Amino acid sequence: MAFHDSAIIGFAETKIVEKSDRDVCALGAEILSSLIKSTGVEKGAIDGMILSSSMSSAGSVFWSQLMADALGLGLNFCQTVDIGGCSPVAALARATMAIDSGLCENVLCLYADTQASADNRPSKPFRVEWTSALGYLGPPAGFGLLTQRYEHQFGLDYRALGKLAVAQRAHAVLNDNACEKLRKAITVEDYLNSRMIANPIRLLDCVMVCDGASGLLVTSRKNAERKGFTKVVIPLGYGERTNHRINEAVVDVTDTGHRVAGEAAFRRAGLKPSDMGSFHPYDDFIIAMMLQMEMLGFCKQGQGCDFIRDNDFSHTGNLPLNTGGGQISAGQAGLAGGGTNLIEGVRQLMGEGGKRQVANRKTALVTGIGGIPYGRNWTTSSVMILSSDA
Amino acid sequence: MTQLNDTSKVDREPPTPLSYTKPFWEATREKKLLLQFDKRNSRYQFYWRPVSIYDGLGDLEAREAAGTGEIFSFTIAERARPPFQGHEPFAIAMVTLKEGVNIMANVIHCSSEELRIGLPVKLCWLPLKNGTFLPAFEPIRD
Repeated sequence: MAFHDSAIIGFAETKIVEKSDRDVCALGAEILSSLIKSTGVEKGAIDGMILSSSMSSAGSVFWSQLMADALGLGLNFCQTVDIGGCSPVAALARATMAIDSGLCENVLCLYADTQASADNRPSKPFRVEWTSALGYLGPPAGFGLLTQRYEHQFGLDYRALGKLAVAQRAHAVLNDNACEKLRKAITVEDYLNSRMIANPIRLLDCVMVCDGASGLLVTSRKNAERKGFTKVVIPLGYGERTNHRINEAVVDVTDTGHRVAGEAAFRRAGLKPSDMGSFHPYDDFIIAMMLQMEMLGFCKQGQGCDFIRDNDFSHTGNLPLNTGGGQISAGQAGLAGGGTNLIEGVRQLMGEGGKRQVANRKTALVTGIGGIPYGRNWTTSSVMILSSDA
Repeated sequence: MTQLNDTSKVDREPPTPLSYTKPFWEATREKKLLLQFDKRNSRYQFYWRPVSIYDGLGDLEAREAAGTGEIFSFTIAERARPPFQGHEPFAIAMVTLKEGVNIMANVIHCSSEELRIGLPVKLCWLPLKNGTFLPAFEPIRD
């Protein structure tokens, strides 16, 4: 038994919208129904469910149980993963573990959040003691500190960052499920001229919080073969690291946990960055993608801007990047947003990319970023390597 | 030249301490910036935690920082939420204290042209309405 003994047999997503008029459980229901119809797996056969945490459910300590009840699911394995934007990718990893250990057979990985219309986080959360009195805006401020430091250590070409913003926006134009407000092409000048939020972080560096849901149906590879599924996606390798460099009092914020998580994922998959057919990095901020290119080994640390200038990230390019637009151009469905790039990777490997289908559908690389801590870059880094042909 | 807002007019809520962070906030009443010091490893840490980040054990000492350091990184808030809304632009920085820890704070009495990584700064204090003070930093000018 091993990680790659599991198979994704179906994916689903809702359209991402600025504000949903539907409750978060209704979005979850749309994903469940879609997966039942597309895979033919009946509701009663789904015996495991793993959710990502959500801003809308922040008032409930019984979140996975409530969702399972609303969806009418009887389960042998039921949990929520709560490592921020890493949760959707991490839920897939945990699904393979649950299947591998024999606890359950068919797992629904469900990512649903309506943060834009129902942000139910408490008014006095943990962890703000050291930042709230400073006017710290959260993620944009954290990435402002990170970006300034990166520029100091290595230099930074903002036009290169703009190239990533432009490539993703062009992909969102081709994605019917992307938030309509964002489905307009932009130029590098639009990026550079967008207003400053937390200087040097601009508006077009940031994600826009939206509402939406996505999900996967995962089973054992043997079961998938027995049931005759021909389109499957295999999770080949996974790595996860929380609190990179936690035991240092002055942290080099340009070095991230993806270095550790990426090495683990590539080692487990027996592959290297140049083997990847498409790249779906977690994108809460544009510069986060460049840092991942460096940490995952596409280029050396400090050479991200050169790498961006030298490569083509369109769906027809040599390294297709977030071919659905990513969260920055499709909209961030709250804490479910990590599912957007994951589902896009699976869609490409299943050959269902439509107008934005990539040529190499053998492998895809998907990542997560979760949590913005005090004075470091981010809390959790996750890396998943997927294959259509393992 | 863009003078950055010193945020002294912001009606900020005093932070709510946890059981193990009360000594830090109490000491600010006397304008003392206390760091946690791990004697076993001879290292400081900040922010305040219930154990040493170096070995996971307790018995941390509270030691007063000298109050000087240099800018490690910074961001200029040009958009903010209440109660900071309307006070932009203002600066938030990570400051490396000479004790070897980074602390996040507002940088005041400073222009955007002057603010840079490596700028020497010293501790100053912003009053909070419960009698405690918030540590901030300002440029050291010879």
